[in-house]
Amino acid sequence: MLKINNLSAKIDNKSILQDFKLEINPGEVHAIMGPNGSGKSTLSNILSGKKGYDVTGEVLFENNDLFSLETEERAHKGIFLAFQYPLEIPGVNTNVFLKTSLNAIKKARGEKELDAIQFLKLVKEKAKELKFDEEKLGRQLNVGFSGGEKKKNEILQMSILNPKLSILDETDSGLDIDALKTVAEGVNALRKKNNSFLIITHYQRLLEYIKPDFVHVLMNGKIIKSGGPELALELEKKGYENIN
Amino acid sequence: MRDKQIEDLKDYKYGFSTDIESFKAPKGLNEDVIKFISNIKKEPRWLLDWRLKAFERLKVLKEPDWQKPKYPKIDYQDLYYYSAPKSFKDKPKSLDELDPKLLETYQKLGIPLNEQKRLNGIAVDAVFDSVSVATTFKETLTKQGIIFCSISEAVQKHPELVKKYLGTVIPLTDHFFATLNSAVFTDGSFVYIPPGVRCPMELSTYFRINASDTGQFERTLIIADKGSYVSYLEGCTAPMRDENQLHAANVELIALDDAEIKYSTVQNWYPGDKDGKGGIYNFVTKRGLCKGKNSKISWTQVETGSAITWKYPSCILKGDNSIGEFYSIAITNNHQKADTGTKMIHLGKNTKSKIISKGISAGFSDMTYRGLVDISPKATNSNNFTQCDSLLMGNKCGAHTVPYIKNKNSDSNIAHEATTSKISEEQLHYCQQRGLNPEEAVGLIVNGFCKEVLQQLPMEFAVEAQKLVGISLEGSVG
Amino acid sequence: MEDQLKIDFEKKLKDFSYSDQEKKFKETNFEEFLKQGFPNRKLENWKFSDLNQIIKNNIGELTFYNDYKKENQIDKIELISELEHNKIIIVDGKIEKIDFKFEDKDKVVVLVEQGEETIKENINSLINLNNAFSNKFCKIIIKKNYSLKKPLVIYHSTNKNTQSKNTNSRIDFKLEENACLRLIDIFKDNSEKNFLNIYYNFELDKSSILKNYKIDKAINNNVKYSYNNVKQEANSISETFILSSGSKFFKNEINCDLLGQHSSAFVNGIFDLDDENHHEIKSNINHLVENTKSYQLVKSVLEKKSKAVYQGKIFVSSEAQKTDGYQLSNAILLSENSEFNAKPELEIYADDVKCSHGSSSGSLDDNSIFYLMSRGLNFKEAKKLLINGFLLDVIEKITDEEIKNLIKNLLGVKE
Repeated sequence: MLKINNLSAKIDNKSILQDFKLEINPGEVHAIMGPNGSGKSTLSNILSGKKGYDVTGEVLFENNDLFSLETEERAHKGIFLAFQYPLEIPGVNTNVFLKTSLNAIKKARGEKELDAIQFLKLVKEKAKELKFDEEKLGRQLNVGFSGGEKKKNEILQMSILNPKLSILDETDSGLDIDALKTVAEGVNALRKKNNSFLIITHYQRLLEYIKPDFVHVLMNGKIIKSGGPELALELEKKGYENIN
Repeated sequence: MRDKQIEDLKDYKYGFSTDIESFKAPKGLNEDVIKFISNIKKEPRWLLDWRLKAFERLKVLKEPDWQKPKYPKIDYQDLYYYSAPKSFKDKPKSLDELDPKLLETYQKLGIPLNEQKRLNGIAVDAVFDSVSVATTFKETLTKQGIIFCSISEAVQKHPELVKKYLGTVIPLTDHFFATLNSAVFTDGSFVYIPPGVRCPMELSTYFRINASDTGQFERTLIIADKGSYVSYLEGCTAPMRDENQLHAANVELIALDDAEIKYSTVQNWYPGDKDGKGGIYNFVTKRGLCKGKNSKISWTQVETGSAITWKYPSCILKGDNSIGEFYSIAITNNHQKADTGTKMIHLGKNTKSKIISKGISAGFSDMTYRGLVDISPKATNSNNFTQCDSLLMGNKCGAHTVPYIKNKNSDSNIAHEATTSKISEEQLHYCQQRGLNPEEAVGLIVNGFCKEVLQQLPMEFAVEAQKLVGISLEGSVG
Repeated sequence: MEDQLKIDFEKKLKDFSYSDQEKKFKETNFEEFLKQGFPNRKLENWKFSDLNQIIKNNIGELTFYNDYKKENQIDKIELISELEHNKIIIVDGKIEKIDFKFEDKDKVVVLVEQGEETIKENINSLINLNNAFSNKFCKIIIKKNYSLKKPLVIYHSTNKNTQSKNTNSRIDFKLEENACLRLIDIFKDNSEKNFLNIYYNFELDKSSILKNYKIDKAINNNVKYSYNNVKQEANSISETFILSSGSKFFKNEINCDLLGQHSSAFVNGIFDLDDENHHEIKSNINHLVENTKSYQLVKSVLEKKSKAVYQGKIFVSSEAQKTDGYQLSNAILLSENSEFNAKPELEIYADDVKCSHGSSSGSLDDNSIFYLMSRGLNFKEAKKLLINGFLLDVIEKITDEEIKNLIKNLLGVKE
């Protein structure tokens, strides 16, 4: 589904990722763990199409060259990024945003767009599943939301947009244990044969609730070690310094 | 593919012109033309005298030059001051007699005048060049004693009301363009709401400039008698022409005790092409007088059109406890220029005013908010709140804020806040990651930025306005 | 007035032997002033004050000639005793004394000569008036890397017998790279009904720091105008603080051109006005390159029939991305006849900027008064306490501790 070959990235001539390689097949859950500054967020930014990076190498998503696609075209193809810091957009109603977004994606895929009633039904259902306060959906997007609510809102958007590849960028940071469980439930509910996940995190905590198939350790812009779920536990014990 | 869509959207969809024979006064500004206009409208002597007095005054007035957008000198002798569809020489008595071309024009503009296709809940007065061509829902309104007609008709049928209020808010001698309007105004709407009546539907005027070399000088007069309420909407379009056209309207609002007037404008005159050629000069004087106690006047405007917009819808808060409000969205793109804002003059006790202004400039355009809040010594316990936000898109455009704040009363409070910012890369990226293309993302964010103002518009207008906000900025995302 | 001007100007030209160039400079400026006259409300910068009217009401007919050959007595002028300082004493526009006794001789250069005027200036008619009638060209240069050990105090005084006179003074300052100057302006008026016109030019080279504190506290019946023209290179800082209080009329105008990256300008001020005093601050902060910063805070406390005007403008050119510009003004009107006018203006041509302004004016907060009184204070004490607090945060903006304390004492403000 996703193939990353020899990806290198620079910003302001500073090298962040070097010869990064990764392959994710349908249905797999990969976790990338790494200390601060290892290049985790750069990876999610580049995959989602954020501008400002000098990039070389190749990224294929379902055999499409990702770099030839605009950010929104990647979203249309089924890439979703749960942001580490979800943006506030004053004046824009959360429901309106979600509906516009969902229908933009449906339209691009040639599917039928949802009308207001169908949409509301869907959003209510999903909000309930994620224990997301429905009243908040009527409010301005992320404005006045707590850190946890913002993160939950990302997962709600994910479950509504139903992407093929979800990238979770430090979604666990700033969540208390209950919110963490809810988020994990949301992810697990979406975990199917064809849906893949790339979970970017600093700590092993989230991985207790979402069992990854593969764990990779990212240091200084390179994957230095890959393994199964046990690697996460090993990391937790030894720390990043002593992993080699 | 996307480029094609943008290209389509960018086109000014009201840019067509109607091929209709018109009947015009000779070119030029002089006493004869004024007499011609007055005569063709069969006006009473007092009104002609009033016009002539304005003309006398005009001779000594100079065009103002303090506003930021400068414009090339206008040759006032090279303009037509009256233009009407030829079929109008003998005014048709009903819509059935109206020239089908006119009906078609309004149909195309989305303002059907036919009985069966009328907009629900909105009564429309349609003004084409210099004359009002049709007013809908007249009977329904008449039943409640509401007068809604063209000002020409009001001069004939309700001269006492016109004489009593005309020029009481914008005096003859006010300033160059207002005085010019007083001398040569052709048509416009007249509204009178009797005491205690809540107008059951939105009243609306749709202005259309069609003829070339023609100035449009409409005059609107709205009187809300004691305890009444009216919501009035105004829309404007013009064909695409290479030359600049002048639109210098006067709008006077009068609210008596406990009355409320809500005046909304969606101004979409032809803005000129992307290189700044052509477009309307929109030099408008709008002023409301809260004459009675507890009266309220609220202006809402969405200004997206015109090559140059220059207007300050104002409130004179004379009655005690009266309230003035101004909600504005102004968008300039390409080479458009706008200098707009409001004046809140607090004269009565316990008067309140609120100003929310959202300015967006893109392309090579220039936008100025200019406003005055003046609390006089007698206006005890009054207050004003002002919020001016500007959004810039690119560094070829300008956004300026020039508020004048005068507080001469120690029991009164004035608070003013202003910010200037741009749409952040992060917000754009976030929206795009959720599948919106850059144009949609900007439209969404800008609509969010404008929300406080859009909320003030009546439902039917709000939807149109939201689309307009998006369309006006097409092509401005780099 | 025109006849008087011409007579006085002729007289002035005869006093000294000017070079042709100097003469030309003075004559050009004089002609320009004759053409424009005193500023009035038609000028956007004078929207709230008509100087013609103010002079007419407070002074009457002005004369413009001053005998610069005459020695003025300066020993009676009361000097600041709280802090050691260098000094310049100006009487009726004439520099009577320059004393940099605390400084290294070669680090502070004073040029006093009928120097060559090369600057073509068309700032406003009062600068023209100043250039036409001011005396000697005085330029003070602070050498590279030198920080003055003690502040420089400039005393502006008038002779006891001087009345209905316009006096003009001009000083140019150059701060070389990494130099630092603390400058205090103090007014010691010995007579009334004069119009003092003061003009300073500042060139701030890279990384230099200028702190200018203008203190107009003593009550007097003079009309004053002061113009600071500041040009700032990279990393330089200018801090201007204005305590505007004692004069009949005082307009302080500050023009700052931020020409080098990471330069910053701070303008803070207090209007503490009583009686019929009418004071004004007009600032122009011009952000002309990337990464510059400005901050302005002005607070007013207005008694009786006093009137304060604050016109603060932030200009951002299209090159000046990443500008950070902020201005705020708050006013408390203590009397029903007092008046506060503001024109906080933004003119912005760059999109990646953070600019904002705010302004508020109104009475003392009744709830706060009530709260304090319920704790046992009487109305007067409560009022004083609140005003104290209101003014404190702008005084706290003064970065020089010594001078901050001096101003606190002058205002009777306590922490």
